[in-house]
Amino acid sequence: MLEVKNLSCGYGGENVVKGVTFTLPENGRLAVLGPNGCGKTTLLRGMTGFLPAAGSVALDGAELLKMTPRERGRAVAELPQAGSAWFAYTVLETVLMGRYAHLKPGLFSAPSREDRAIAEKAIRRLGLWEERDRPLTRLSGGQLQRVLLARAFAQTPRIILLDEPTNHLDLKYQVELVRELKTWSAQPGHAALGVFHDLDLALDFATLVLLMDGGRAVYFGSAEDLPPDALSRVFGLDVPAYMRQSRARWEKIGG
Amino acid sequence: MRKAAGRWALLAAFAAASVLLAVGAGSVPIPPGKLVAALLGAGEENTRALVVGLRLPRVALAFLTGAALAVGGIVMQSVLENPLASPFGLGVSAGAGLGATVVLVTGLSAGALGAVLLPAAGFAGAVVTTLLVLALTRALDRRMSAVTVVLIGMVASLFFSAVMDLMAAMSPEYAQRIGLWQMGSFASRGWRGPAVLAPVLAVCLAVFLSRAGQLDLLTFGDEQARSMGAEPRRNRRFLILTVVVLTGAAVAFSGIIGFVDLIAPHVARRLFGASHRRALPAGALLGGSFMVLCDLAARTLCAPREIPIGAVTALLGAPFFLWIFFAGRERR
Repeated sequence: MLEVKNLSCGYGGENVVKGVTFTLPENGRLAVLGPNGCGKTTLLRGMTGFLPAAGSVALDGAELLKMTPRERGRAVAELPQAGSAWFAYTVLETVLMGRYAHLKPGLFSAPSREDRAIAEKAIRRLGLWEERDRPLTRLSGGQLQRVLLARAFAQTPRIILLDEPTNHLDLKYQVELVRELKTWSAQPGHAALGVFHDLDLALDFATLVLLMDGGRAVYFGSAEDLPPDALSRVFGLDVPAYMRQSRARWEKIGG
Repeated sequence: MRKAAGRWALLAAFAAASVLLAVGAGSVPIPPGKLVAALLGAGEENTRALVVGLRLPRVALAFLTGAALAVGGIVMQSVLENPLASPFGLGVSAGAGLGATVVLVTGLSAGALGAVLLPAAGFAGAVVTTLLVLALTRALDRRMSAVTVVLIGMVASLFFSAVMDLMAAMSPEYAQRIGLWQMGSFASRGWRGPAVLAPVLAVCLAVFLSRAGQLDLLTFGDEQARSMGAEPRRNRRFLILTVVVLTGAAVAFSGIIGFVDLIAPHVARRLFGASHRRALPAGALLGGSFMVLCDLAARTLCAPREIPIGAVTALLGAPFFLWIFFAGRERR
């Protein structure tokens, strides 16, 4: 469904991502892994053309890098890193903004009854109906991130891109967010791609893994076949040994 | 939704009441009956001349200036993703002040020419300064991030204010006029100001309202706005320039009047929500009414002397702003 070929991009003419190639099939969930500064977030920014990029990002043959912002907005939604809100839009208003790319182009355009119905459905889906009139500035970080996910759903995209969407969130919200994304990705025509810092959460989310180091892909393939030695090399740490220790700790606690 | 309609009716009534009160009050109070008659073109000749020739243009200029500053503040805050941003912070006020100072110290402000030249120079100063700020921002940060814009604007404001102070110090005979201009005033300017400002405000407000959806998206920052299908970089430049034209025009006729561009947006958002479709018109009405009432205080409290309007808005505005900003905010 999504084919990324030889994508290079960076800041100020210097490539941080150097010729990355991978494919994401329908209903696939790809986790991008790698140490700090390996180009994970830059890759996302290059895929959407937020940074000038060379190469090709094709969604069912249509070049994403050549789309107008509105066209791209109908194809791809993004869930940003968890942050805080500065302006007191209500939950419903915020989710309705997801419909922007679908509005009739031109001045004074406003959401239609159908847009409203789609936004309300997304709000119910994420269990935010009771909160729909609350301002964002009064939500917790976890709730805010749910609202932004509802906004991404309301955008009715083919693909959702995630940039460490669960950082700083309580464990409960992390798990819930991944669960919602799995359900969404399983629907026809959908796929998701996310940058993750937490390996455990990444493997819970992903069917596919793209392991990056120094701006290049060192592994791309199914999450199950992820080679442990590559993981250890890239992160400069015996990752399997760390995970075993972690498991042993939990068994001691009696989990 | 009936509650919302009630709020709008209250706001409209408040705006109308403040205008009528300001036109009626003054050294020669005009009772409501005579006032309405004069406004309708009837009644005594003297009253009509006072109302239509003196009071009404002053109140109209105050209202339009307050509305323009409030609308400019709302848009600037959204475009820079910062609830504390304002056109003045971008160098608009310092630039306008510098432009006016140049005209004042060169003695060009005397006579009929000065009546046109002073506002024109204020406007030009505002626009040129902001263009400089934007160009410098672009040179230093190609992505034109909001933080850089705010930072450069602050530095430019301080720099141009210093140049203005220097010029004032070197021409002591004009220092008082420069100082007064910096505090703002709506005194006896006739219908010329309102006649220019009204269409500028109407066009700019229409520009902003027609892009209300985009403005909503921009408050979430470049990356999110873009991911939803907006074009933040191009839009931001255009919107900032429109704000500069609007605030430059407002400042040109009345001088620098602070705080309205901060208070009115916050009150408007608090009462009518953050959505620009509502916040913009609400901010315009609130900013206009607030300015009219402040001007009423400026000319009546110490009558026959006038207090500079900028001093009134700051005296009322500073504590009020603290309150509105911190009240209703969750403690963290």
